[in-house]
Amino acid sequence: MRQISLLLLLVLAAAVVPLPAQQDTIAKTNLKVGDVAPDFSLPSNKWEQVKLSDFRGKKNVVLAFYVLAFTGG
Amino acid sequence: MAKLEASDTVVLGISIDSPAANAAFAKQIGVTFPLLSDMNKEVLTSYQILKPYDVKGGKYQWAQRTTIVVDKEGKIQHVEQGDSAVDPNSAVSICTGLHKPKA
Repeated sequence: MRQISLLLLLVLAAAVVPLPAQQDTIAKTNLKVGDVAPDFSLPSNKWEQVKLSDFRGKKNVVLAFYVLAFTGG
Repeated sequence: MAKLEASDTVVLGISIDSPAANAAFAKQIGVTFPLLSDMNKEVLTSYQILKPYDVKGGKYQWAQRTTIVVDKEGKIQHVEQGDSAVDPNSAVSICTGLHKPKA
């Protein structure tokens, strides 16, 4: 329940905190359903490298790309 | 989130912010999943979701708001972009569906 309310908070924050001025066009990816997701390794907020392919065979992964921290984007 | 965890799913937030900014952001909004830093914009480039932003005359390239669901085989199952990508419901329903045993 706590997790759900946190997610809700995130969504609500997105609604109330204005993003910087931006263009209306969407930078549309050519990636589509069925494609292999390009692998990557990036540092987390704890400076640990997180690699997408480490979840292969273990977990589904939701990649949530956001514009900037503290903006709700 | 509970629904996602129950469906064998992890969430990774990704932006161009530094790990320090993401750590403060994670604390502020209370998320427990990792927030990843694409400071070189390598992932945003390979996923083709770099978007130009204009802030008070300054030009920037940041992420297009996007949600992508990757299954256990590493294949993309769902792509959502723009404002609707903020709403996690469709990603949640996809992952819940992925969890169901195949008939």
